[in-house]
Amino acid sequence: MTTAAKTGTELNLIAHLLRRTGFGATWDELQECAALGYDGTIDRLFNPGEPEHMPSDIIRRYHPDQSITQIAPSSGSVWMYRMTTTKTPFEEKIALFWHRIFATGQTKLIQGKVMLTQIEMFRQFGLGSFRDLLVQLSQNPAMILWLDNQDNHKDNINENYGREILELFAMGVGNYSEEDIKECSRAFTGWTIANMPYMSIRMRNNTLRPYGYVAWQYRFDPDDHDEGEKTFLGETGNFNGDDIIDIICKNEATPRFIARHLYHHFIADELPVPQWPFEGPKDPEAIQLMVDAYFANDYNIGAMLRAVFESDMFKSEATQYARVKAPVELVVGTLRLAGGFDWPTQDIFKATAACSYMGQALLAPVSVEGWMGGEDWISTGSMVQRINFASDAMGDLTKKGIKAIIDRVSERHPVGEVAPMALVDDCLELLGALQVEPDTRKGLFTYARAQGEINPRTNEGARKIASVLQLIVSTREYQLI
Amino acid sequence: MATEAGARLGLKYLDTNGFGAAQGGRGYYLPVDIAVRSDGRIYVLSRGDAIQGGNGVKVTDIEHTWYEVFSGRGTDPGQFISATAIAFDANDRLFMADEILNRITIFDPDHNYVAQWGAEGSGPGEFDGPSGIAFDTDGNLLVVDDKNQRAQRYTPEGEYLSSFGSGGSGDGEFNYPWGITVAPDGVIYVADWRNDRIQRFTHQGEFIDSQGGSGDGEGQFNRPSNVAVDNDGNIFVADWGNQCVQAFDNDWNFQTSIRGAGELSVWAAEYIDANADEKAARASFNPYPELDVVDPHEVSSRTEPYFWDPVSVAMYDDSRLLVLETGRHRFQIYEKV
Repeated sequence: MTTAAKTGTELNLIAHLLRRTGFGATWDELQECAALGYDGTIDRLFNPGEPEHMPSDIIRRYHPDQSITQIAPSSGSVWMYRMTTTKTPFEEKIALFWHRIFATGQTKLIQGKVMLTQIEMFRQFGLGSFRDLLVQLSQNPAMILWLDNQDNHKDNINENYGREILELFAMGVGNYSEEDIKECSRAFTGWTIANMPYMSIRMRNNTLRPYGYVAWQYRFDPDDHDEGEKTFLGETGNFNGDDIIDIICKNEATPRFIARHLYHHFIADELPVPQWPFEGPKDPEAIQLMVDAYFANDYNIGAMLRAVFESDMFKSEATQYARVKAPVELVVGTLRLAGGFDWPTQDIFKATAACSYMGQALLAPVSVEGWMGGEDWISTGSMVQRINFASDAMGDLTKKGIKAIIDRVSERHPVGEVAPMALVDDCLELLGALQVEPDTRKGLFTYARAQGEINPRTNEGARKIASVLQLIVSTREYQLI
Repeated sequence: MATEAGARLGLKYLDTNGFGAAQGGRGYYLPVDIAVRSDGRIYVLSRGDAIQGGNGVKVTDIEHTWYEVFSGRGTDPGQFISATAIAFDANDRLFMADEILNRITIFDPDHNYVAQWGAEGSGPGEFDGPSGIAFDTDGNLLVVDDKNQRAQRYTPEGEYLSSFGSGGSGDGEFNYPWGITVAPDGVIYVADWRNDRIQRFTHQGEFIDSQGGSGDGEGQFNRPSNVAVDNDGNIFVADWGNQCVQAFDNDWNFQTSIRGAGELSVWAAEYIDANADEKAARASFNPYPELDVVDPHEVSSRTEPYFWDPVSVAMYDDSRLLVLETGRHRFQIYEKV
């Protein structure tokens, strides 16, 4: 790939890191991280300080629907505000990661409040101990009702959650038996929510009546818990759910399974999950690196990722631009570059809807297996949506991020016009040190040259610069991360 | 009602009016303001959301009679996009503010559209998010101009008269003010939302005093949204962020705080009676489950009787207080004791 002019290797690596751990970066954000260096930027990712984003009271006042989040567009938009305005996007990237693995959806659960509570739990526990995360997940009301654990009784088990925690959430097919599923399910009996069955019936009836949804509260019901002896993955005892999670977490299949998911989300597109039992990982060394970090750091997810980000494998050219951007990454990344979400606006619904049109409805994954990702994101229809959305945002000269880019170009060329190639390189750099193939760069140059004189200090010049930005976000490379 | 010297004013729960009506019909959906007409009819501004219906101005009374709905979502005259507040003039005409359309709409007593006025901007006579309205004792309309950090005064026909306030946290300054109320004695109360206080002004708009400060203790507020004042000067504050209503005497001495005690309204009970499976399940419903959260918004989301986003308060024949909740699509009725 051709590197945009005036960008050093470390800056490109930082840009790569910020695309993977966030949603890309503006030029100012890149410069801030450049001052810290690559390693310093990693340190800040894991020690970000207090979160800073659009305050919830502001959102709730101007969007009352986003206070109670009865409908999916409202709850999705709450998260969209958070992602587009946060100063700590790594938190959101982690929440997105777990949302894809531990996929629950408002389609069944009906109310968004419990979904957003689950997302907040992912922010809090998503980079910590996997054991703590699994305990939280198993006590999370959205997950309990998503997988029917409220119907998992000591004298009549429902193995839905017991099966999925092993198959989809922690270990993967082939690492446990059908008997393990039953024993696991017995251990999670009594893990329910307050006010069953009223809450369950209201969900089933899909009704907000009489007074809107009542958000669910986890409750352990000792009277409905199976206190009998259980044998799980070769160990025998009077296990409760916590004990089962302990056994799961110390099994080597667990970090191997999670590491492959992390690889898919943070390193490069992997095979779809259903193929994993039959085909090994793309990069076994990368998986082993994470497995070792997992056991050396008390099952810590953050340690697994830190090992990745510090590795030569992650920094290699082969890893850069090796993933197709998920719709949320594309939409949020574009909006963070363009700016304009500093205050509540009805446009937030359009941004949330755009993700849906591209195939990733927030808080409504397509199935219990989440989204497959990778090339699944790309179809004729979704490409049109992706390009139109990004191009519209870049062409809006009222957006402060676009104005800032044009002002920066003007500062760099204080007198007269900007040469076409210099403009292309400036725009690539100001869009987050974006790198493109030589043919793409040549095409961009041809387009810029065809615009004739471009003086960034004129309205016409600004419009032409915006059109170059629009073309850049329509390239193949902008679809990658 | 006058209280005996030394006795604290209390608020006793009486009743609940409401029903979640996102699809329209009897009930409310995301209501944001409430006003009582001279004949006792109660008007609820049901804002709704951008996707579903169920919005409009809904008319009921203290006995749960359902009258009708008028207005609704749209940009045509008489419609709204993001309505924020309603108020009656002395002739029972209803005035409605819209913070996105930046206009005031007027309806006659039969709910027919009469006129609209307002323009977006920051100059005199322009709005950037009208969020609260109230008539002063001269019959002119006070409009809280939220994002311009001020209150403006207009004739009912929309002729600009004056304004007071500017951005800041000093006396007479605002930080995204919300509701406004004119007390029977003509004193103006403004919910200075992000300064976590209530400010009082003379009829002319001169600063008198303020009460509040950030917190959840007695006399502290978390984003107060509106105020009601009775004939004795007692003050009732919708403490939106703390999910409660606080009451004070006219010298700001704390009287009581209520968190909500909503029960099934007549309309809600009819619904439950008509749905056997929900009725049977509700028989074992504990409305106050043990919770593992303390944030008031979270607590309210999990506790049906509590106020959830208590956005507006209004007096009813001076003896009762109506507390409107956006999150639960209802208003609770309290008696002064």
